[in-house]
Amino acid sequence: MASVKLTKVKKIYDNKVEVVHGFDLDIKDKEFVVFVGPSGCGKSTTLRMIAGLEEISAGTVEIDGVVVNDMQPKDRNIAMVFQNYALYPHMTVYDNIAFSLRLQKMPEDQIYEKVTNAAEILGITEYLMRKPRALSGGQRQRVAIGRAMVRESKVFLMDEPLSNLDAKLRNQMRAEIILLRKKLDTTFIYVTHDQTEAMTLADRIVIMKDGYIMQVGTPAECFDMPANLFVAEFIGAPKMNIIKTKLVKENGKYYVTPFGAKIEVTGEKGAELAKRGVEPGEVLLGVRPEHITLAKPGEGIATRLEVNEMMGSELHLHVYTEDETRLIVRVPTISLTKEQREGMTYGAPLNITFEGKVMHFFDPETEKNLLCD
Amino acid sequence: MSKNKDPQAVMKQHMGLKASQRISNTIIYVVLVIISIVWLIPFVCIVLQSLRVEKLNGAMVTWRVGYIFPKKWGLDNYIALFKTDFPRWYLNTFIIAVFVCIIQTVIILCMSYTLSRFRFKMRTKLMRFMLILGLFPGMLAMLILYRVLADLGLTEEHAVPGLILVYVASSGMGYYVSKGFFDTIPKSLDEAARVDGATRAQVLFKIILPLAKPIVIYTVLTAFMAPWGDYVFASYIAHANSLGMNVAVGLNYWLSKDQIAAHYTMFCAGGVMVAIPVSILFMCLQKYYVEGVTGGAVKG
Repeated sequence: MASVKLTKVKKIYDNKVEVVHGFDLDIKDKEFVVFVGPSGCGKSTTLRMIAGLEEISAGTVEIDGVVVNDMQPKDRNIAMVFQNYALYPHMTVYDNIAFSLRLQKMPEDQIYEKVTNAAEILGITEYLMRKPRALSGGQRQRVAIGRAMVRESKVFLMDEPLSNLDAKLRNQMRAEIILLRKKLDTTFIYVTHDQTEAMTLADRIVIMKDGYIMQVGTPAECFDMPANLFVAEFIGAPKMNIIKTKLVKENGKYYVTPFGAKIEVTGEKGAELAKRGVEPGEVLLGVRPEHITLAKPGEGIATRLEVNEMMGSELHLHVYTEDETRLIVRVPTISLTKEQREGMTYGAPLNITFEGKVMHFFDPETEKNLLCD
Repeated sequence: MSKNKDPQAVMKQHMGLKASQRISNTIIYVVLVIISIVWLIPFVCIVLQSLRVEKLNGAMVTWRVGYIFPKKWGLDNYIALFKTDFPRWYLNTFIIAVFVCIIQTVIILCMSYTLSRFRFKMRTKLMRFMLILGLFPGMLAMLILYRVLADLGLTEEHAVPGLILVYVASSGMGYYVSKGFFDTIPKSLDEAARVDGATRAQVLFKIILPLAKPIVIYTVLTAFMAPWGDYVFASYIAHANSLGMNVAVGLNYWLSKDQIAAHYTMFCAGGVMVAIPVSILFMCLQKYYVEGVTGGAVKG
């Protein structure tokens, strides 16, 4: 168990390309932190710098208060699970898990106890004498986790451990990682490009883009108060609708005027705009698909249906407005009658609306949230 | 609606396909058997001649007898071999091949691991330089090598250490095949092992080499074979001194104009003796050898 501190960490490759630009982060003891971002955002590189698999070009990485910049991976007291499992193909599952313990010259009887314990927790006892090639993807991933578990390291690093699994298995393994975290009770740093994984697993999410941190916060913070347009669009599925519109102020109240409609900004959002004294003008208005509701014909904003995605419990309706702006609306299937559902075909007219308390406002130039510090 | 085909016609077509496949297979096998026989004839002749005891017209002449199958069979030629310098040549060859095999294998595998796994300045330039250098025939260096070895006193009866030096000298340049194989082993295995607590050397010995078994065996075999059958360098450096000869040079000496008549059947026996260890090695390791030769190219 340990804290991890990154101070102005940079990664510059030999060809002078800088992929991580001064990364600052304090990870507390026993915290589960998830680095999330699109491909090439530097999340895996940062994790690999913590692991010691990539040289740190500038800045410092501290584990438990000790600067580990010049330490070999083996001396950093970390365990890591790799995206492609990285199991040793010529060894049995038992030998794979026992590998690190044998390198520590631990007595065989202790190794046996640790390996069988780990195998029992992960439900792989019956596969201990098999080679990795005779295992399924999920079983291999469990072995990889078992191999990291027995090291009893201070920090547990996971580099996209579920991305090679099919959707069903991924959900199952995600739940198992949550349970494992409770059992191990250690510091976890987890890398993924899947925002669902990040939201469900993390105590804190670090959202990255092009080597910069876009926001650090709890899943709820990132979802409810995205610091900028990138985070707003990245967190949440389907992604947030962004509408270019005007913020107007009348009689001390704020209104937005998307597509000719006039909607009052209410609730905390309205109060916060007033408190901050936000000047009226052009804004990027963000509304999550689940916060848009269907309105009666003639009310709200007139749109036409382009695509109707039936997701089972809900419909994802892709609609377009008169000025060809595309929006996504998420409607619970149960809220619609059979006739309504059947009427949702290409070109069908749909009126939509949303409440003033669920809006997000972004500066069109800086793309920063107007209500965020 | 597609028309239903007549089942009998389908059956006929099927039978026709089967018959034509059988005919083409038969032709292929007949051709392969003929090629094998042609290929085996010299080996069979050598084995037969090595077991021929009788000499031409009862005289000392052992060759140009005009027939293949011996009239009198025996191991006299093999026994006679051991009364000549042959055991010395054999021992020389064996010592050279074993030393070269060990040293060259170690150098090639280390070189391949380094070039496959480490990134350092001039790496690609070094590889390109070695590739170009490898295009020059080794014979070009023969004269200067002889001069250097002669100055060091490593020629003639001391040719064995000299030859080991010559064969081992450019070992590093033979890294291509094994580097290609190492490249196919995912780097995440090295990284996992390093996180697990392994040093670079432990990664090589505990992870990479066991996974690269075919290529290690391929490297060992080729490293053993090259000096085992070499004639050109060995003849130059032994310089007609029987004590420094290897089997190829020694046996070739028996083929000279004034020796062949008396030594032809012994030459054949010597040839068989040379082939035995290599044949056993190949028979035991052929599975890995083929994997090694093709592994680097196709292993995903």
